[in-house]
Amino acid sequence: MRNSESSKQVLLEVRNLQAGYEVKKGFVGAVDDVSFCLHKGEFLGIAGESGCGKSTLAFAIMNLLRDNARIRSGEIDFQGRLVSALSGEGFNKIRWVNLSMVFQSAMNALNPVLKVGEQLCDAIHAHRSISAQKAKERAQQMLQLVDIGPERYDSYPHQLSGGMKQRVMIAMALVLEPQLVIMDEPTTALDVVVQRTIIEKIQELQQQLDFSVIFITHDLSLLVEISDRLAIMYAGKIIEEGPAQDVFSHPLHPYTHGLMNAFPSLSGPIRRMGGIEGKPPDLLDPPKGCRFFPRCSQVMDRCANTYPPEILFEGDHRVACHLYQGKGDIQNG
Amino acid sequence: MADRFILELEQVSKHFPVRSFRRFGQVVHAMDDVSFRLKEGEVLALVGESGSGKTTTASIIARLYPQTSGKFVFEGKEIDPGRSGKRNLAYRKKVQMIFQDPFSSLNPTHTIFQILSRPYVIHGDAAGKKGLRSRVQVLLESVGLEPPAQFIDKFPHELSGGQRQRVNIARTFSVEPLVILADEPTSMLDVSIRMSIMNMMLEYRETRNVSTVYITHDLAGARYMSDRIAVMYAGMIMEIGPTEHVIGQAFHPYTKLLRSAAPAPEKGLKRQKLVTHGDIPSLIDPPSGCRFHPRCPFKMEECSKRIPDWKEVDAGHFARCFL
Repeated sequence: MRNSESSKQVLLEVRNLQAGYEVKKGFVGAVDDVSFCLHKGEFLGIAGESGCGKSTLAFAIMNLLRDNARIRSGEIDFQGRLVSALSGEGFNKIRWVNLSMVFQSAMNALNPVLKVGEQLCDAIHAHRSISAQKAKERAQQMLQLVDIGPERYDSYPHQLSGGMKQRVMIAMALVLEPQLVIMDEPTTALDVVVQRTIIEKIQELQQQLDFSVIFITHDLSLLVEISDRLAIMYAGKIIEEGPAQDVFSHPLHPYTHGLMNAFPSLSGPIRRMGGIEGKPPDLLDPPKGCRFFPRCSQVMDRCANTYPPEILFEGDHRVACHLYQGKGDIQNG
Repeated sequence: MADRFILELEQVSKHFPVRSFRRFGQVVHAMDDVSFRLKEGEVLALVGESGSGKTTTASIIARLYPQTSGKFVFEGKEIDPGRSGKRNLAYRKKVQMIFQDPFSSLNPTHTIFQILSRPYVIHGDAAGKKGLRSRVQVLLESVGLEPPAQFIDKFPHELSGGQRQRVNIARTFSVEPLVILADEPTSMLDVSIRMSIMNMMLEYRETRNVSTVYITHDLAGARYMSDRIAVMYAGMIMEIGPTEHVIGQAFHPYTKLLRSAAPAPEKGLKRQKLVTHGDIPSLIDPPSGCRFHPRCPFKMEECSKRIPDWKEVDAGHFARCFL
C-alpha cells in the first residue's frame, strides 16, 4: 500500500468549501463545508450517490463552475498557493498544466469533428509555445502511453471504441504532466473488462509519472480496491474519510455501513443484503441536523437537531456521527 | 429429474440485416446457436458485456421480433416464428419484460394510474373503473409504493428513478406472468436502492414461483439473484451451469476473464493483472471457430477452425471450449 506518511507533502488542501447552484428558490448547497487534504502521489477515492455533490466538488476544485454555479465560501490550496482566490485568467495558467481532469463521458467531451490527435495538440499549444512537429510527436507519444497506436492520431472520435475514447481522454489529461488529475466517473459507461484495463492503465501511469489522483465514482467496491484513501459523501458533506482498507473493514458511519451492504460479493456465503431505504434529502432545504438521520437505522434525538462534530480515530480515520461522541482516539474541538 | 421446463430455446439465432449501402446483404450475428431451458420457478442470469446478445435473447423470448432460425418452445408447445405480431396477447400475458431504463419506459404524459390500469384493460379483466382503481392501489402497495394514494395520480417525472422502476415492475406483476424478463433492471439506479429492487424481485419469485431471465453485466449481482448463470460472448453462450459452479469453478477462459475483471475489495489491493488484449469482435464478420479465440490466452490451433462442442464439465455445468 502506498499509504500517506506524515512526512509526505500536502498537494491539495480544501478548507470549509461551500459550493452550489443559485436557483429561483434559493441556493442548492451541493457541496457544504467540505474539508480534506490530498498528499503527493496519493490516490483519493470519493464515493457517493448521484446528487451528493461529488461532481460539483470536482468542478469547484478545477474552477470550472459556470452560469448559476459558484463557490460560496471556503478555501482551496494547491501546491501551497491559495488557488480559490485566483481570477479566471490566473487559473487558466495552472489548469491542465498543474491540475487536469478526465470527464465523465468521453463521448461528449471529445470534439466530434476534430481528429483526436489535433485535440491533443490543441491542449499542448494552449499552454506551451512549441512547434507543430514537436506537439505532434508529444501527442503520439501520449497515445502510445495509453496503448493507442500512433496511426490513430488521424482518427475521429467516432472511429474509436468507448474504451479507446476514454483512454484518449486520459492521455489528454496527462499531456502536460500535471501533478493532480481529477477523474470524474471515468469508467462508468464502460464494460467490466474494459473498465478493468483502464483502471490498470491509470495505476501503471500513476507509478510511472507520479501524479496524484482524485477518483470520483458511485462504485464503492471498485474504489476500495484502487484507492489509498477513501472519502464518503452524502448530501453535500463528507461523512467519513480514512485509509481505504480501514473504511472497508471497519466502516463507522451508518451510511457507509449501508453502502457496503449494497454490493453483493463474488465469494463467501450469499446473504440477504439490505441497501438503504428512503432517498437523499432535498439540497435546497436540507435537514437541520445530520443529513442522513431520516434514513438512519440508529437515529437518536440529537441527530435531528445538531450536525454531528467530526470525530477522529487512530490512523487518520474521521467520521461525522453522534454515535461516536466521546469515543474518538483523538478529541478535537 | 422431474423438472418442468417452461421455456426451451433450441439453437436459436437472430441475424439483423445491415442497413448500409456499402455492406448491403450482410448481417449482424446478434445471437447465434443459443440453447437453454428455463425451469419453472428458476432464475437464470444472462451475463455478458454490451453487444454480447443478452438483450436480443430477451427480445426474442418476448416476441418483439421473430428469430432467424431455431426452435422456440413455450409450455411444451412450439411457438411459430411468424407469430410475433401484436395479436399474440395470450402469450404476452404470460411473458413480461422489465426494461433497463426507468426514465424512458414510462409514458411521460400518463399518470401512474393510467400506466398501471392499461394491462388490466388490454388483457380484458378490468372490473369497472372503481374496481380498477383499488386494484392499482393494491399493486402499488405490493411494490412498496406506500401509501398508494400518494403515487397513483402522479406523473412519471414526479417520481425518482427507483420509484419509477418500481412502477415498471408493478406493471409487470399486474398480469401475473409466468416468465419475467428483466433486462438490467438496476443498472441505472443508485447503489442504495439497487438492493431493495433486487430483493423485491426475489421475494416475488418466492411467493409466486415465477421463472425469471435476469440480464446483467454484473457477475456479483447475478450471483445474488440467480440459480443458474449463462455467460454470453459475441452472440453465443460460452458457459452455462449452476451459479456457484460457474463463479467458483469457472471453466471457460472468458468467464475467468469476467471474474477477474469484477471489483473484489475483500481480496485486498494487489491482484493479478488481466491477461487480455483486443476488443469484442465485429458481429458482422465474427471470428471463425470460437468467437473468443482472438482474445483468449489459451488459444490453440483448433480454436480458429471450428466452433467447440458443448462439454459437460460437471453435473449440469457446460462449457464451449476445447480446453
